Amino acid sequence: MNFLLKNYGKLLLALCMFFWSTDVEGAIKQLRETDTTSTSSREEAIKFIDGIKVPELSVYWPNINPVSFLQNIKENIHEPLGMYPGIGTNFCGYGALIYLFLHDDPLGYAKFMLALYKDGKASLGISTFEPAEIIKQTAGTLKYKGLLDIRPAEQMFYLTLADHFKGYVNIFNRHFDPGDENTFWASVNYAKFNRMVRHLLNYKVYARGTDLLQPSVGNTYDYIRRKMQQGIVVLYLNNRILHKKKQEKIKLGIPTHFVILQDIMKTKEGITLIYWDYGHKTLRQLKPQFLHKIVFGVSQCIKKKAIEK
Amino acid sequence: MKSKIIYKIAILVTVLYSCSPRNISTKYYEQNRTTLDSIQQSYTKLFKQKPFIVGFTDKAFENISLEIITDSLTYIYDFKINEKRLSDSLFKYNLNSKAVTELINQMHSIRCTWVNSFDYFVEGEKKSLVFLSIKPVGLSRPFSNKKYYVITYFSQKQYYDKKGRLVNNRKQRQLQKLNGEVFKRINDKVSYTVSSTYR
Repeated sequence: MNFLLKNYGKLLLALCMFFWSTDVEGAIKQLRETDTTSTSSREEAIKFIDGIKVPELSVYWPNINPVSFLQNIKENIHEPLGMYPGIGTNFCGYGALIYLFLHDDPLGYAKFMLALYKDGKASLGISTFEPAEIIKQTAGTLKYKGLLDIRPAEQMFYLTLADHFKGYVNIFNRHFDPGDENTFWASVNYAKFNRMVRHLLNYKVYARGTDLLQPSVGNTYDYIRRKMQQGIVVLYLNNRILHKKKQEKIKLGIPTHFVILQDIMKTKEGITLIYWDYGHKTLRQLKPQFLHKIVFGVSQCIKKKAIEK
Repeated sequence: MKSKIIYKIAILVTVLYSCSPRNISTKYYEQNRTTLDSIQQSYTKLFKQKPFIVGFTDKAFENISLEIITDSLTYIYDFKINEKRLSDSLFKYNLNSKAVTELINQMHSIRCTWVNSFDYFVEGEKKSLVFLSIKPVGLSRPFSNKKYYVITYFSQKQYYDKKGRLVNNRKQRQLQKLNGEVFKRINDKVSYTVSSTYR
């Protein structure tokens, strides 16, 4: 009894945590089981978006020109590979997520974007997005980000996602200030990325990896190749080695970059990797050891089957 | 005894100040203007013929990273500076092999680590800028995280505040960062910063 009285606070906290976690987990489990999200084809999305007239200037997003906004959505539906998270930003994780969204449910993407623009809030999966005022003011004003400068719908979506989802990497910078698209505010750690996909999209995600250590999956090439045959593979990479930005010899072994794997094959020179990031496909030849060194996460995303709906 | 210590501290401060990035930055462009402008002009001309990005990825300036941009794919290759594969690849992708090799040699001579070009937009109109990073010997001092002198060549005049910092436009005058860095005026179209990364 004494023990109970002394630890009353701790017990109460543990009890609250238990009910909170079962509540959230329960909601996710229910969603996975019932799978209420629907997928669509690109043709359906094109038919829908081509029939949409230019919306009126949104009171919620004053810096987003409606003509450019609609144009941007059309471009992304017609050419999803051209989607561009911008030079120097930390939007690569959100870019990979939207790539999956556009490939799974382009019609859902178009409807979500239009709702978010018109109403200032919108729901997707089990999440409801209602971005902060500063996000609404900033979207459409980002500059010197390459093509992202003239893609206000993408700016809106990246900023909204970064404002909504938080991981431990965002602890010290949770609120947006101008320029934060390049900082930890916009960063995505591995668990956060997988959580976003599970919460928002109609995919089952099988993830192996961490933010600190490479996954122990045996031969990295064989593992990735095997996973690729069953679904879309997202790789979580150490970009400090892949795209060097400093000439130093000692490099931190920390992953910072998400790419969508397009192909991987063995060649005379080693391993040829083709991946999508930042608006285009890139081909790189690597040694097998190098591949193992840079891969920190392999997320296999498989579309849920109709029977699971 | 006291005066000796003060004297030593004064020497140390002078040495450290003379090695500081700020001091190097203000002079560097003017001292090396001919070579820097030449690299920018050659690169701009070659980029228009066939888009590519090139840089040195190691301290000894022996390893080259070459990114060849085509409509369907970007090819990234690593070469040693005199490797035959480099010229073979330039030939394979229809790059002007002689001119690109000259550009690489010119970059090597001035310890230029990286050159690329990217688009930006002013009121919907496409503009481009050339981004040049150099690692001058003076910036390679210990305890200094900022080791790269980065120059941007804009295709049109830019706006700067009273302190000479790049701002977004004439009306708002908000600091305009590039790659997360504040850039300072060299002239109307050229600005610089000192950065911890070369791209």
